[in-house]
Amino acid sequence: MLSPERLALPDYEYLAQRHVLTYMEDAVCQLLENKEDISQYGVARFFTEYFNSVCQGTHILFREFSFIQATPHNRASFLRAFWKCFRTVGKNGDLLTMREYHCLLQLLCPDFPLELTQKAARIVLMDDAMDCLMSFSDFLFAFQIQFYYSEFLESVAAIYQDLLAGKNPNTVIVPTSSSGQHRQRPPLGEASLLEGVEASLFSQCLENLCDRHKYSCPPPALVKEVLSNVQRLTFYGFLVALSKHHGINQALGALPDKGDLMHDPAMDEELERLVVRSRLHWTSRQHRAEKPGAFGFQRRDKLEAPESMPSASAPSPYPCRWEPRE
Amino acid sequence: MIPGKYRSVSGRAANNVEFKLNKETPSFSGRLLQHDLERNYSSRQGDGRVISPSPRNKSSCISSTTNVTELCGLEMKTTMSSLSAFGDSSIQTPSKSRIRQGCHSAGPNVSGDHIHLASSSMPSFPILQRSSEEKILYSDRLTLERQKLTVCPIIDGEEHLRLLNFQHNFITRIQNISNLQRLIFLDLYDNQIEEISGLSTLRSLRVLLLGKNRIKRISNLENLKSLDVLDLHGNQITKIENVSHLCDLRVLNLARNLLSHVDNLNGLDSLTELNLRHNQITFVRDVDNLPCLQRLFLSFNNISTFESVCCLADSSSLSDITFDGNPIAQESWYKHTILQNMMQLRQLDMKRVTEEERRIASVVAKKEEEKKRESHKQSLLKEKKRLTINNVARKWDLQQNRIPNIAPNQDRKVSDSPQDPSQLHGSTVSAFPEETGSLDSGLSNTLQGLSVTDTHLVEVDGDTLSLYGSGALESLDRNWSVQTAGMVTTVSFTFIEFDEIVQVLPKLKIKFPNSLHLKFKETNLVMLQQFNALAQLRRVDQLTIDPQGNPVVNFTLWKYYVLFRLSHFSMQKINGTEVTQNDMIMAERLFGILAHVASSELPQYRLISILGDVRKKQFRYLLETKGKKPGLVNEENSDSKRLVGENTNRATLNYTTRDFYNERLEEIKEKKKFCKMYMEDLVKEATEINMKNEALQKLWPQMFIELVRDAVIEIRNKNSYMKLCLQQITDQK
Repeated sequence: MLSPERLALPDYEYLAQRHVLTYMEDAVCQLLENKEDISQYGVARFFTEYFNSVCQGTHILFREFSFIQATPHNRASFLRAFWKCFRTVGKNGDLLTMREYHCLLQLLCPDFPLELTQKAARIVLMDDAMDCLMSFSDFLFAFQIQFYYSEFLESVAAIYQDLLAGKNPNTVIVPTSSSGQHRQRPPLGEASLLEGVEASLFSQCLENLCDRHKYSCPPPALVKEVLSNVQRLTFYGFLVALSKHHGINQALGALPDKGDLMHDPAMDEELERLVVRSRLHWTSRQHRAEKPGAFGFQRRDKLEAPESMPSASAPSPYPCRWEPRE
Repeated sequence: MIPGKYRSVSGRAANNVEFKLNKETPSFSGRLLQHDLERNYSSRQGDGRVISPSPRNKSSCISSTTNVTELCGLEMKTTMSSLSAFGDSSIQTPSKSRIRQGCHSAGPNVSGDHIHLASSSMPSFPILQRSSEEKILYSDRLTLERQKLTVCPIIDGEEHLRLLNFQHNFITRIQNISNLQRLIFLDLYDNQIEEISGLSTLRSLRVLLLGKNRIKRISNLENLKSLDVLDLHGNQITKIENVSHLCDLRVLNLARNLLSHVDNLNGLDSLTELNLRHNQITFVRDVDNLPCLQRLFLSFNNISTFESVCCLADSSSLSDITFDGNPIAQESWYKHTILQNMMQLRQLDMKRVTEEERRIASVVAKKEEEKKRESHKQSLLKEKKRLTINNVARKWDLQQNRIPNIAPNQDRKVSDSPQDPSQLHGSTVSAFPEETGSLDSGLSNTLQGLSVTDTHLVEVDGDTLSLYGSGALESLDRNWSVQTAGMVTTVSFTFIEFDEIVQVLPKLKIKFPNSLHLKFKETNLVMLQQFNALAQLRRVDQLTIDPQGNPVVNFTLWKYYVLFRLSHFSMQKINGTEVTQNDMIMAERLFGILAHVASSELPQYRLISILGDVRKKQFRYLLETKGKKPGLVNEENSDSKRLVGENTNRATLNYTTRDFYNERLEEIKEKKKFCKMYMEDLVKEATEINMKNEALQKLWPQMFIELVRDAVIEIRNKNSYMKLCLQQITDQK
């Protein structure tokens, strides 16, 4: 019941660190918001449902951005929800622009900031040609890194810039607030000599950072692994490597492996059912409209319909398997 | 020798004259003025009318003799001169005249049969002499017709001359006549004069005939104040000028010149006849400043519209006009337009205007006028509309630049913004041909442009309600007639922020229940979720999103999202393209899971807050069935649900406008602040209690032992303890 860490911290700090306070606050806030309705079916029921949905990761659907990014669990839940809802878009093979992906994000979170999407697109497109089309998986994994580790990446960017400028990385003060100034590319004269920074030095700095960092950061061992393969690397090269690393994806735990990205049998079944229904809907509409000539179509649809009826909703192969992390 | 030769020439001329004298006088005198067909009054062409003051009243067979007589008679009347011979009905030509070359330095200048005036610095002129009996006989006239003269001869001792005729010579310059100060009639027809000059002393000149010369400008007429007839036909004059002082001029002939227009006619207060045939005139001005003008000949010019000669309508004196040979005369409206606008006209193109013609003209013209007024009104409205739309577009552009974060990187082409309203209208018509056809055109006319203001435009045109500019949305508050509201099936929004449109959608639903086709242009549709807002409408069959000013159209998924989100409308067309079953299925495939997740995975408390009051009924229905397996629920109730309205699983996908959303975020922030404080207090209290509890837990075993020990010590001595107890009991009593 009592973890050893719990004894090391005063209760309040412990609760805050574990984001329990965040959820409690939010629960009360939600309760406040829908006082009348909730009082009808019971406050206890509400709290049960609330914390259940937090566990299932469905609590972030259509919520405001400030809440979605408030905890790592929320971020992971959002990533998962995004994947779940728009996997079909990727499956269809559509290549979309950054703006279109942003629109999809906004369907789930109306005030999702464009800046984050842009940054994610920069990882895919290597900082140029922002109007290019991207595949769903490329975008999703880049977006995962950018969204989940957004504060960490800010700090990394700052360190990278300092290394480029030749400053002693030990004196670096890690910025905690996001600021656009790190986006500046190094002057051309310097960059043309040797692109990027030395991997070992960079790795050392990042290790330092991971120790100090109060936001979530990728497992240091995996970061080291990424950096150990190369001599020199650029900032975006580093981000691409991060986004393509299986281990990091697994450690983050929100998305399936790249190979299984389009795989979600439960939802596929659900979808088939929906499609059949929409077909039936269409044929009934055709009947109503009494349009001749469409009969051939309808007959085939009707035959097809019972075949693809789902038996029952199978349990999701990806049950909630993450825990709140710091 | 030379004089002899010359003499022979003049002798020939004399013979000529004599021969003519043998003929009948009228025909001869007719010849005097009958320069050619141009000037022949009896000919069809009217250019010769320069000396026919009142042709209407004379039959055309009366030749120009009469006219001359009349002219002279008139002259006599007006000047009251004692020129009795001039007043005769027959004008006789001086039968003999002799010209003698000036004796000195004449030799080198003579060549061939002609008297040649060289361009040497020492000019020499022939000197004309007449015999004394001739002088007596024709004391006031002198004719030097067809004498092959290249210069004007010096005419000595003829100061009393009244009439001088140089017809058909080769004179290039008017000279040597300045001493003939009593001259009244000067005829220089058919010469080679290039400039009007040498006339400044001829103050009593009344008739000046300069037809068929090479004159380029009207000039040097300043002193000829009593000029009555000025004939300049067949020259190269390009404009009318320097005539404003000729207040006695009655006849001006400018036929066969190079005039491109008519103006500068001020001051010609006596002008009764103006001949302008065979020019290149495109427009006529100033004619209404001629108080006496009766006859105007504009045949064979380049007049194509009535507007270019409209000043004629203001002339009250004009009674005879010709337009034949102009483009205008080919027009179907020509005759009645002219007759209607010039009621005073008695003759048009040489034909008498009858009462019947006039009546028909007035009827036709009235109709025309009405039509014109109507079309003018229409065009005025159209223009106003165009201006308003331009204005709205400009404002829109300004607004877009000012708030770039709403539509980032939106490059609107300003040049595209002024749009053709008729085109807009046309597209609507083609979309609903049968409905438009059945409309009462009068009604649509009256409805057109119901309100036009500077910042916005509302227009009902047939079945289309067009709104331009955000101000136009207020018109939805107005009381629309049931008929109008029922008729409108297409609503078009232009230059309006979509977020603003969203706010009036409920009104639109109530006021225009039949609206089936929505059009958006320049409305800043940038996100897919904005389409969610349209789901609240009653019915939408067609949706047209113009790519201009709606970046969302550039997305590959937008159509599918629309079909998915608005699937309960069973839409037929999107941007003019028919919706197919495959489209519907594709839409379902792409976004079906989103809807499923949104409906089945959303916690109930969220469902409530998202759906709001209106959909609570549906929600309760969902609640009741939620216990069962979700798949089953959807299967069982999909039909009934569809009849109710949109699918509940899609209802959670809605759109709040940016402002409203920001407001809500603020609200949430406030609440959050409160919750944070509240939770802080609660948690602090709880942890404190917890701490105390823990401390108690720690102390309790020791405390218990101590308590037991105390008790044992107390009862160790049984007797004393019993005593003590008894004591206590008795004390109580």
